Amino acid sequence: MKKLLSTLALSLFASTAVNAVEKTEIEVGYPYSHLFNVTFERIMKDFKVKHPDINVKFRAVYEDYEDANNVILRESVSNNLPDVTMQGLNRQAILVEKGIAKSLEPFIAKEDDFEKEGYHQAMLDLSKFDKEVYGLPFSISLPVGYYNMDMMNKAGIKKMPETWDEVIGSCKALKKSGVKNPIFWGWNITGNWFMQAMLWSQDTPIIKDGDINIDNPAGLKAVSTMKQIFQECGMKNLSWKEALASFSAGEIGMMYWSTSALGAVERAKGDFEIKTHEFPGFDGAPKGLPAGGNAAMMVSTSTDPKRQEAAWKFIKFITSGEGAAAVAHTTGYMPPNKAANEIILSDFYKKNPNKETAVRQLPLLRDWIAYPGDKGLAVTQVIYDAMESIVVGDQDDMKALLKETAEEIKMLLPKKKVAAK
Amino acid sequence: MNHYHSSFTEILRHATLIVGGLVIILPFYIMLSYSFKSPHEIESNTGGFFGKQEVMVDEYCVKLGNTRKDCETTPIKFNYGNAFKKAPLLRYLINGIIVTLSIFFIQVLVALPAAYALAKLRWWGRDLVFSMVLFGLLIPVHAIALPLYIMLAKVGLINTYAALIVPWTISVFGIFLMHQFFKTVPDDLVDAARLDGMSEFSIVWRVMLPTAIPALLAFAIFSVVAHWNDYFWPRIVITGNHDLFTPPLGLREFRGGADGSDWGPLMATATVIVTPLIVAFLLAQKKFIEGITLSGMK
Repeated sequence: MKKLLSTLALSLFASTAVNAVEKTEIEVGYPYSHLFNVTFERIMKDFKVKHPDINVKFRAVYEDYEDANNVILRESVSNNLPDVTMQGLNRQAILVEKGIAKSLEPFIAKEDDFEKEGYHQAMLDLSKFDKEVYGLPFSISLPVGYYNMDMMNKAGIKKMPETWDEVIGSCKALKKSGVKNPIFWGWNITGNWFMQAMLWSQDTPIIKDGDINIDNPAGLKAVSTMKQIFQECGMKNLSWKEALASFSAGEIGMMYWSTSALGAVERAKGDFEIKTHEFPGFDGAPKGLPAGGNAAMMVSTSTDPKRQEAAWKFIKFITSGEGAAAVAHTTGYMPPNKAANEIILSDFYKKNPNKETAVRQLPLLRDWIAYPGDKGLAVTQVIYDAMESIVVGDQDDMKALLKETAEEIKMLLPKKKVAAK
Repeated sequence: MNHYHSSFTEILRHATLIVGGLVIILPFYIMLSYSFKSPHEIESNTGGFFGKQEVMVDEYCVKLGNTRKDCETTPIKFNYGNAFKKAPLLRYLINGIIVTLSIFFIQVLVALPAAYALAKLRWWGRDLVFSMVLFGLLIPVHAIALPLYIMLAKVGLINTYAALIVPWTISVFGIFLMHQFFKTVPDDLVDAARLDGMSEFSIVWRVMLPTAIPALLAFAIFSVVAHWNDYFWPRIVITGNHDLFTPPLGLREFRGGADGSDWGPLMATATVIVTPLIVAFLLAQKKFIEGITLSGMK
């Protein structure tokens, strides 16, 4: 018995000796295992070398952005939050409103060369609420055009379309050369992303001062252009899954979609050349585009400053330098970090020009706007339904459609407080 | 003429059954086939059942910064390798066994005495309790998931085995099933046991339990299959810890959204997960059908 006790004591002593460098453990959650597992595996290799004193424990991977949001809300009820969580850019607001996400300002204030490390204004703006930064964007996607170059060449199109008029022109040329399905325009992408893209292209946010902002000339131009694209190009009403598969199989000439699908499309594509090009605008390039993707937020409930510091170090590591570069290396997304894109990744983009398209659009980065209030998802659906009615050809009068839609949305948005006189 | 007629209906009957059988087997066929094929063969629908098993490059491995040469593998190795490596499937399977067996064990512990009391003993309020059991059958789990979650959260059981097991320990279906079965057991048997001086509890465990084996087996299959395959509940209460994942949660590691799923490893995982159930069913097939007929769940 005595012997047993002494061995026990000895082994205890030995284990404390090994742990002389005390490790701080932080817990991290992120979505989309099939996309980001590889990214984090790559990042962690470098992170462990640079911060041997921090032990990162990954939680079960969230299925998607909605799930990521749900899980954090649930975990805040059961008081079981991780330290860092990756959240969809349009899902951050609710975590800030509910006081779950922590402001990062105190940590940023302590950094000396924050801007030099590539954190620029447009990037920080994506996670700014009430003038405070609550997250650092980690991986960003923007809408781009995908082109089947074999079809484009056959139709004699030399210059990639830069405006929607040119897109419609290309459609006609493609049709003439025998392409049955010249275009897929991703109206059905999540969160009304493309509607917001059409509005941001004209520098118009879809929500302004808490109110819907579509019943105006910019909105009219957006939906009339959609109608033109759908009707004059003879676009088939495909689900996005069908569209991606159909484009990969070489049946669609031009596809407008998120740059994040590039990896999957290139993997699955048949024997033809794909090129990506900037998202077209109205008269010349778009003036802005909504950013998709996710940001790292701190949701730690720990009061231990060491642990908070470790969480901040992790957030910083994955959004700058080699950590940020890993995003471009492993996914179709890009890191929003300027320094990472311009210095570390310049060679990489030269070798992968299709991935560079979205990077060239970085200055256009705008908010992917979340609809305020509890009925935000219902608003998304109303706009989705309106766009669908254009796709299937149920609607002719665009003005009436906008008016009707805007009125319906007004009922769903939270009532504005009457300003005191 | 009569003979001719009966063989015609026989053929018709078999044809219908064969069509039905095919419809049921087809998804399994696709699952098995995909688990052998390379991503390209799956996307382009080529390669037949087994795929060509040509050497392929593991893109995941390339993305980690290895050379293409180092990342060569064959589709079967890639699919099943990933199933066990990327998702620690063995751990998930063990969790599945721990959870389903614990649930079943406690369910029996509760259901047998309850069913015995409801079927064979006379006491005030018995009919009311039995109708509450019946009423319990009507409540879908999803309706009470939220209060259950909050209760478990309040006692700090989220992310534990207990969260996976405790809510299922009282099975009204089990009580009902055993009740129906016990009603077919002659009262004389129980009376004889009482005359021999057995206590009510030992009657439950030493007289009723042995007679109820076929019904218990049927219930076992219902219970184990339901909880082995359950996705909804584990998904809600297990948010943090990978080590507590049950097999269905492991599956979603390979599920992709807009950017394509890893079908090969996904199907390989699915194959590994359903195999124990299919084997268990084949072994207990006869008992299973006997149990269902016996327990009056016709």
